Amino acid sequence: MGQYGNIVFIVWRESIEALLVIGILQAWLGKQGEDGRTRGRKFLWAGVGAGLLGAAALGAAIMLFGDELDDDKQQMFQTGLMLLAAVLIVQMVLWMRRRGGALKRELESALQKAADQANWWSVFVLAAIAVAREGAETVVFLAGTLSAARGTALLSPGLGAAGGFALAVLTYAALQWGSRILNWRLFFRVTEVMLLFLAGSLLLNGADNLTSLGLLPRLSGHLWDASAFLSDGGGIGGLFSSLTGWRARPDLTELLVFFLYWAAMAWLLFRPQTATR
Amino acid sequence: MKAVVLFGLIALAAPCRAAWAGDAPQFRIEFADGKFEPRRLEVPANKTFEIQLVNKGTGPAEFESKQLHKEKVLAPGATTTMVIRNLDPGEYDFFDDFHPETPPAVLVAK
Repeated sequence: MGQYGNIVFIVWRESIEALLVIGILQAWLGKQGEDGRTRGRKFLWAGVGAGLLGAAALGAAIMLFGDELDDDKQQMFQTGLMLLAAVLIVQMVLWMRRRGGALKRELESALQKAADQANWWSVFVLAAIAVAREGAETVVFLAGTLSAARGTALLSPGLGAAGGFALAVLTYAALQWGSRILNWRLFFRVTEVMLLFLAGSLLLNGADNLTSLGLLPRLSGHLWDASAFLSDGGGIGGLFSSLTGWRARPDLTELLVFFLYWAAMAWLLFRPQTATR
Repeated sequence: MKAVVLFGLIALAAPCRAAWAGDAPQFRIEFADGKFEPRRLEVPANKTFEIQLVNKGTGPAEFESKQLHKEKVLAPGATTTMVIRNLDPGEYDFFDDFHPETPPAVLVAK
């Protein structure tokens, strides 16, 4: 039962981040008129497909060449993906705001179409990164777990994986349902905040990686220890940490990145709107 | 655009970083289906060192430490190497993320 529950939890946890991003984009694109529903969603699901292929390729590379892969280069690659995803999420949130406003005025100029065309590609890249990043780990986990079990023993991990995936699909369905049941403006606000937290978390993880690669200075030791209050280790605390960027024992670099990020977001979202932008 | 510039910077910095990890002291952690040894590993503080991760189990394992900011997935039978540099003296928990029921072990930097 313990092992079974583990598999359910791990598969669900590995997919929750990607599902949040995809679920929110899917719901949002549905409200973007004909163009968003047809063209936008094509880009989104093509991105998911590309991400799945990427995850399978990365997973296979880890299983086949795990020994020869250079640790630093792997970490740099992952860091690059994390930072790119963080930038794309922020850009997406800002674009959503602009387009949400523009849509009401039914702005259908050629310029708007060109800008949207570029942003549909961001939707594609964002979905692909979201799926590929954690997906590779799930591929190794599932391939290893299923190959370790033989015959009837295959049933339990197989069910566990299916259960985790079912739970993930339910989470996704809840997001889509929420977009229908909630006032659109409220849903938009809630998901905007969730996406910004996720981007902040990716940025912090990226900064942590750069620190451990020796490319960014670690400006202090641990400033305080709040792990008794909420740990950022395994289980629920770990999940919370990966969705929000929570650090129980932050150093000065992490603290600065966190505050600079949120100051920048506050400025971007609440600055006086000019006519051109 | 900014991300591209950052990519470039990281790529440029890569060779000089990788160069001096070669002759660093090496340690070893073995995983086997939820068990991992040693439970307490002493390493030098403020130095670069390598940890060789070996998975002797029949299932996959994932070395993970939030405090070290490291995650590393290991297929069954796989061996891989991880570079750690400039640790402050102190204790750092690590665990097998694919077997969260096993209590964490500790890396002690002195």
